[in-house]
Amino acid sequence: MNVEILIPLLAAAVQSGTPILYATLGEIFTERSGILNLGVEGTMIIGALTGFVVAKATGSPYIAFVAAGLAGTCAASIHGLVCLVFQGNQVVSGLALTILGVGVANYFGTPYVGMNAPGFDPLPIPILSEIPVLGAIFFSQDLLVYFTYLIPVLMWIFLYNTRFGLSLRAAGEYPAAATAAGLNVIGYRWLGVLVGGFFMGLGGAYLSLAYTHLWTNNLTAGRGWIAVALVIFAFWRPGRAVFGAYLFGGIMALQLRLQASGTQIPSSLLLMLPYFLTVAVLVFSSWWRGKTDEPEALGTNVLPAD
Amino acid sequence: MSDAPVIRLEQISKSFGEVRANHNISLDIAEGRILALLGENGAGKSTLMSLLAGQSQPDSGTIYFHGTPADFSSTEKAIEAGIGMVYQHFKLVEAMSVAENICLGRSDKTWLSRKGLQRTVSEIANQYSMQVDPDRLVADLSMGEKQQVEILKLLFRQSNILIFDEPTAVLTPHEANNLFETMRQMKKDNKAIVFISHKLEEVMAIADDIAILKRGEIVGVMEAAHVSSSRELAEMMVGREVLLQVDHQRMEPRQQVLRVAGLKEAGLKDINFEIRQGEIVGLVGVAGNGQKPLVESVVGLRKVDGGVITLLGRDSREFFSSHSWDKALSYIPEDRQGLATCQGLDLLDNFLLTTRQGFQTGPWLPKNEARQKLQYLIEEFDIRPPDARLMAWQLSGGNLQKMVLSREFYRKPRLIVAEQPTQGLDIAAAEDVWNLLLKAREQAGILLITGDLSEALELSDRIGVMYDGRLVNLFSRTNEEMIEAIPQMMAGLI
Repeated sequence: MNVEILIPLLAAAVQSGTPILYATLGEIFTERSGILNLGVEGTMIIGALTGFVVAKATGSPYIAFVAAGLAGTCAASIHGLVCLVFQGNQVVSGLALTILGVGVANYFGTPYVGMNAPGFDPLPIPILSEIPVLGAIFFSQDLLVYFTYLIPVLMWIFLYNTRFGLSLRAAGEYPAAATAAGLNVIGYRWLGVLVGGFFMGLGGAYLSLAYTHLWTNNLTAGRGWIAVALVIFAFWRPGRAVFGAYLFGGIMALQLRLQASGTQIPSSLLLMLPYFLTVAVLVFSSWWRGKTDEPEALGTNVLPAD
Repeated sequence: MSDAPVIRLEQISKSFGEVRANHNISLDIAEGRILALLGENGAGKSTLMSLLAGQSQPDSGTIYFHGTPADFSSTEKAIEAGIGMVYQHFKLVEAMSVAENICLGRSDKTWLSRKGLQRTVSEIANQYSMQVDPDRLVADLSMGEKQQVEILKLLFRQSNILIFDEPTAVLTPHEANNLFETMRQMKKDNKAIVFISHKLEEVMAIADDIAILKRGEIVGVMEAAHVSSSRELAEMMVGREVLLQVDHQRMEPRQQVLRVAGLKEAGLKDINFEIRQGEIVGLVGVAGNGQKPLVESVVGLRKVDGGVITLLGRDSREFFSSHSWDKALSYIPEDRQGLATCQGLDLLDNFLLTTRQGFQTGPWLPKNEARQKLQYLIEEFDIRPPDARLMAWQLSGGNLQKMVLSREFYRKPRLIVAEQPTQGLDIAAAEDVWNLLLKAREQAGILLITGDLSEALELSDRIGVMYDGRLVNLFSRTNEEMIEAIPQMMAGLI
């Protein structure tokens, strides 16, 4: 494989990894507070549709992008309501949210199938995009990709260098300790759920506003589930999530190119590749016996009066 | 007592359903003094402290803070008032560093720098001459070190009223002494200290004032200086004279029930001993010196490769492949809430966990018969509340332990492995357990693993000391010279 093929492939890897990265970061943020949200897929697709519809109505992809994030927050708040107010089962609630989100998006999205909306186009950064190889891969993308270079850093700073991040992690590790320290555990878990939902919504919007500029049913196509698996692969660390997301982006871009090149391999097998890789990384992560940052109290509920 | 007390409780009452946990409690907590709160399990100590910590509210009565009525309606408010709790079960985040744990929930700075955290932590630690590395992960610390972190947390928050909930339960004697040293230093710094315990000697050693709780009421408050002996306290605590010494009569050991030969398993170094029917062999030692793998090997929880274990005359592998449910082996684990019982099952189901083979006919399990049997045991062993339909988690530690003992003794074992059988029990319950074990000795040989030296001395016919995976020595209870030397053996000096 020569450079002329490899560089566009890597650039495409970054691009198709970006929506997964948004969603993975969102899920990491949520899980760090102790809440397991399996509704990533549903939250993403609600964000994707909201972004698309708002872009079409207002003509502004920026407003649409923020709206998609807020829609993700709204969708996640359903999960928050179930788990933090009514003490419901987090796994069941998350699964329900995914089924609900996909159903709602497909229902309300049907009239838009095949339509176009204004979105984000590549915006090469002056100077940086001139760097050989790296410039073409990383700095000739659209604005939403550039955001994801910053978000993991900001999230890391928040989690590890501010007292709010410390408190959020404590809520996920050992809520009783956080309570004994006078912290509002439920409040921090709400923060985790809502902010996490915001990022998931943004991930969806990337698909409808930048990756494609049009709407099709089932646009997310399982990327939310990949994000859930990537959180484990990332050991719940924002930095590692970047590598995982680009790895998956690479596989997705590769299988598209292989299909386009008219290979003999059946396309259904190629389409399986990302999901096969999902299983592989999960096997790898469970085989790994080293230290991960998995929150101790992940998936357990906390009583408000506790 | 000097000035107005920093906390005054007046006529505090608190009930849970029909249970009167606290009734008309009036108590003063003064600065620069150590108040010991003494009481049996279930006497209402923990409830009283949770009221102070803002975790629950009294049904009636007033808490005064520096002479004015205070509102401790949330943990935040209690913390603000300077109340700090050192819980029995540490409230520490294992996956975080010492410094992060200490700074958790402090309210002023947004940005946390590692250097800054380290410096502040070291400053306080030095002030109380504690040695903790701020950068270490809490998960890697010993129990004593974890407790120091808990204390540092409170000092960092400038708590002036420190409440210790049975702080020595998890400590080695040496660590406990360090703790008392720290408490004395805090006292000098004019902090008010509440020390909850049911260990009389400790209370006598450290307290200035002693308040005794019994069935939710204060039955006596006195200055420690005016108390003549721990026996006097014990009498007030349980309301009857406690026989801290049980009647241990020598018995002629009969046939061998357990033989351990050349056991080398998970850090054990060539363990050899035997137990005969009619004797109790007590193994003492600081936890973590090989007791766990030894017990697991004997009771069949661990596959034995290095060495031979013979139970009731049969090799352990053969024994565990086909042993009878009764007249064989009974195991009384340390973890009575986890290993011995299922918390979410009722007492009858828990009873059947190890005795079901005595009741089953074919595939059926006739529960009525078992229920009658259990009801009889509940009365005989005085398990309270006496209701077989209660869930295991609804019983106090002492009653649950009695339930486990009644179940295991019902199997008429020939070999009993009892691990910390009285840990966390109050004096009366512990005494019951001791007498039960002595009675069981008539039929069985007993391997007693304990961290409590006095327990081992009271019960054992022979005493062994474990250190670093070795059985340092095994000697008769009458061997005074050896008994004198036990502390040195436990510390690995001999």
